[in-house]
Amino acid sequence: MAYSENVIDHYENPRNVGTLDKSDADVGTGLVGAPACGDVMKLQIKVSPEGIIEDAKFKTFGCGSAIASSSLVTEWVKGKTLDEAGSIKNSQIAQHLALPPVKIHCSVLAEDAIKAAIADYRAKHPADDGKVA
Amino acid sequence: MSLDRVISGETAAGQRPCWSCQAPLSVRAAFCHACGRIQPPAALDHFRRLNLAPRFDLPTADLEQQYFGLQRSLHPDRFAGKSSREKALSLQHATALNEAYDVLRQPLRRGEYLLELRGRPLNGADGGTIDDEELLTQAMAMRERLADAAGEAEVLALIASAEADAAAILAEIEGAFAQEDLASAARLLTRLRYLAKLTAEARARVAGAGSGVQA
Repeated sequence: MAYSENVIDHYENPRNVGTLDKSDADVGTGLVGAPACGDVMKLQIKVSPEGIIEDAKFKTFGCGSAIASSSLVTEWVKGKTLDEAGSIKNSQIAQHLALPPVKIHCSVLAEDAIKAAIADYRAKHPADDGKVA
Repeated sequence: MSLDRVISGETAAGQRPCWSCQAPLSVRAAFCHACGRIQPPAALDHFRRLNLAPRFDLPTADLEQQYFGLQRSLHPDRFAGKSSREKALSLQHATALNEAYDVLRQPLRRGEYLLELRGRPLNGADGGTIDDEELLTQAMAMRERLADAAGEAEVLALIASAEADAAAILAEIEGAFAQEDLASAARLLTRLRYLAKLTAEARARVAGAGSGVQA
């Protein structure tokens, strides 16, 4: 399959690969998988006291499109509020990376991963709705 | 399949006329009892296609006996001198038999198919996502071990350990199906899928392809 330039760029120079401390109160972790292709994706966000995502890391084992989708999302969410980050749609990811129809599920995985990371962070901060007082 | 049944003019439930001599036949009949001509394949699940009871612990010998036996009478090689219609029908049968055999001979696909038949398809089998943390944490750890493996010996050890895990999981899946515990069967099959993926990636690495290992 021919990958688009944007996919190849993110695949060859993935942004924000790494791990944040899962037990840190400021870190939200999303772990999702696509069993059909055996992919597994971890996406983590570090949230400032003001409720802004100040760092994001990912670790993905999967195809080029899955890696590019998670790399792109970590780039996009930095500097965003949780609500803004949570409104990212897989269609935007797929469009930016020009994913072919058979690879749309990779962008769904990335959308689910950021949503799971936000949910994990919010579960750690039930009272302040994402903001640390 | 349904189109065949429409074309062949199926009328009463479970019956249709032979396309050639119009003798009434069971929809499941592969051959006409009156004129002997091959009939369109019936719409059957993969187990019934091979005259097997739907079960996970399927003996390979039974599967092969049915598959090769049916192919012997239905394969296009047997219809070389027949009409184009009969050749086409034999090809339809052979294709359906191949598909059934291919699914049923692989434990992972057989298990997933069985869940589908029971109306409980696997989560994420259709390309959807799952968030089973324990399972995914395990999968992530295995893939990290593979990515960090220093040399071929370490990769081979990882393959051996994954195969041992897979064998143990297969036994558990048999137990789950035996007790009709479909939820456990589904979860175990997903674990098996991730193990199969790990083994495939590890083998590719040993073969020097080294693809798909990232981050």
